[in-house]
Amino acid sequence: MSSWTVRVREFGLRNLPPERLLPDSQPAYMASAIYLFGALTIGALVTIIASGTILALKGPAWWHVQSIGHFFNSIHLWSVELFFFFMVIHLWGKFWMAAWRGGRARVWMTGAVAFVIAIPTAFTGYVSQQNFDSQWIATQGKDGMNSLGVGSFFNVLNVGQMYSYHIFLFPVLVIGIVSLHILLVRRHGIVPPIPLADSVADAAAK
Amino acid sequence: MRGFDISSIVNLNGTAHYVHWHFFLMSVPNLVVIVLMLIVFAVALFLRAPGAKRPGGKK
Repeated sequence: MSSWTVRVREFGLRNLPPERLLPDSQPAYMASAIYLFGALTIGALVTIIASGTILALKGPAWWHVQSIGHFFNSIHLWSVELFFFFMVIHLWGKFWMAAWRGGRARVWMTGAVAFVIAIPTAFTGYVSQQNFDSQWIATQGKDGMNSLGVGSFFNVLNVGQMYSYHIFLFPVLVIGIVSLHILLVRRHGIVPPIPLADSVADAAAK
Repeated sequence: MRGFDISSIVNLNGTAHYVHWHFFLMSVPNLVVIVLMLIVFAVALFLRAPGAKRPGGKK
């Protein structure tokens, strides 16, 4: 019986051979700009992680007292805005392509979960700003959390807890689920367009 | 205010503006972003991806 390292290697090579993991060309049907929005979302996420890492290293007061800190805070905020902007357009595009076809259910589900996890990630960031905006959001959100019954362990008025969630717990979850999403996309390939013949046949049958 | 600061293109200290029509209630900034997303989505559907081949095989 082979060791677990061999089994993991064989599992990886079987499901994700190098030529599929890092292909040298894309399918011919990827001709529309709508196919770019997944990559644009990843680009925004990389910018978020990079600017967030700098903000975390400098501490939670830096962006209030230094111009360069304010600059990186703004880079972090606007890359989040672009992340959601691109991700929603990516979601619309994939929804209308019925991107779960051809055994791609897990690709679709990991994308949906990434979207759901990204929301509290952004929310904990907004309440960690330490300004009047974050106070307003936290006090409004408190009632929402209490109405859900989770206010006792997800206390939006506890800045330390929200900041810890924002810079560790949620980023780990987002990076993990997005990585899994990308690996599943590479494994199953980009979803092809809905066949025109089927659409015509369906319309004729009605 | 310091000389090198760039002020926002709209007055962020003023009263917030909302669009309210029957059950529909949304702030103008949120509405602007949603309309912008719809426009980008529609344009992206018809815009050719950079480097994509045309049906004839030409780039």
